[in-house]
Amino acid sequence: MTYLFDPANWEWVWTGNNLRFLAEGFAVNLEIALIGIFFSLIFGLLLALLRISRLRLISVSAGIWVDVWRNLPLIFIILYLALAVPTSWRQAYSDVVPDFFPEALQNELVLGALLALVLYNSAVLCEIMRSGILSLDRGQREAAASLGLSYTQQMRFVVLPQGLRRMVPATVSQLITLNKDTTLVSIIAIQEVVRHGSSLTSAGGFFGGVQAPILQVFVMIGVFFVIVNFALSRLSRRLEIRERKRTGTTLKRVEGLEDQVAAETDLAGPPR
Amino acid sequence: MSGLWEVLTEHLPEFSSGFFVTFRLVAISFVIAMVVGTLVAAMRVAPVRWLNVVGGVYVEFFRNIPLLVLLIIAFAGLRRAGVPINGWVAGIGSLGLYTASYIAEALRSGVFAVGRGQIDAALSLGLSYPRTLRRIVLPQAFRTVIPALASLIIAMIKNSAIVGASIVALPDLLKESRQVQAETFQTNEVFFWAAVGYLVLTLTATLAFRYFESRFQIRR
Repeated sequence: MTYLFDPANWEWVWTGNNLRFLAEGFAVNLEIALIGIFFSLIFGLLLALLRISRLRLISVSAGIWVDVWRNLPLIFIILYLALAVPTSWRQAYSDVVPDFFPEALQNELVLGALLALVLYNSAVLCEIMRSGILSLDRGQREAAASLGLSYTQQMRFVVLPQGLRRMVPATVSQLITLNKDTTLVSIIAIQEVVRHGSSLTSAGGFFGGVQAPILQVFVMIGVFFVIVNFALSRLSRRLEIRERKRTGTTLKRVEGLEDQVAAETDLAGPPR
Repeated sequence: MSGLWEVLTEHLPEFSSGFFVTFRLVAISFVIAMVVGTLVAAMRVAPVRWLNVVGGVYVEFFRNIPLLVLLIIAFAGLRRAGVPINGWVAGIGSLGLYTASYIAEALRSGVFAVGRGQIDAALSLGLSYPRTLRRIVLPQAFRTVIPALASLIIAMIKNSAIVGASIVALPDLLKESRQVQAETFQTNEVFFWAAVGYLVLTLTATLAFRYFESRFQIRR
């Protein structure tokens, strides 16, 4: 404890560009997370629509696809794709990646990492969205059909707006998990916050010549994540309570999801 | 698919030792996570304000920090601070405390699911608050959160792979598989068997919890 709070061990924060260096690494994490969120939401919705398809062949094969990727460790998928993505794909990635992207994302290894994040998270999000859609009362679909809406119109105007709205808390907690999981790409040598932290410590404080002890550096990185993720979860809870008051909808619990229990409990209120 | 079986039979010692390291890691961490998670959940529902706050800070900290960062703090960080910690203690401790925060939240929601009337009844019969919690509330809370616990242990099996891939470097299934891959260069075959190993673990956990769920179901 005295070691942790010794001011001499925190001096690195105020010297040189150390803090800025860490923040730049953290920005890379947030960018990877944003790209991952964008594609995971799109593919997750697509998979969910395939999964509830009336053609058994489509729904069963989508189900197998989702169950396999959902039950494998993300780090396993990342390490596998780092080895298995063909060189030609990587070349293609470094050809199409826009120039305004930060340097760390220009690295062709990023392709494997992004693919892994999207494969895993789209599978998880698919399950969330599917259970949101299935939780909807049958009558909604039937009423829409009897009004003469086509399948696409039923989905677009009746089922999805209501079904997805119920799943906002679960989706946000999965996105928080995705944000935490961006640190895993450091294992395949992408220069993000964990790598930046390690180089700070191993260089013996090359910015400013002050020792940067590994414990303090990573506590700092942890604090970055706690602040951002905590803010995200508070924001979603706010939005959700407002939304529930407005629409009077209820939450739906998804089986196979660990992160969303918190959102539910806070609304239930304390037991006294 | 020639070579698929050969990879397994030739490298069975590596695969099986990795499998059992993962199994042990998950089993011990789960016990720690259950114990700590129950304690934190009890703190969060206790009628004492500062206990609620301590429990809340614990949950928000461990739930929002990446496991990889936690592992680096627990292993390299504490060693640097002079704490003689080994890979197993760091790995089990991090994984256990990380999952404990999720378990605490699950149990808390289970506690809220127990009717307020039951708690009032127990208190009015003269049971103390800890006793009410232990005898009346927690047994019911555990039963209602069995499905949530099942998904938590599956998440834990998946997270255990991070312990092997991080600087803690326990020789778990993923670590051993990468070793085999580095020797044989048969990436697809090796990762196929590793995937089978992880799917076996998660599937067994799912089935076991489904059994517990039907066994301990509260019939109302």
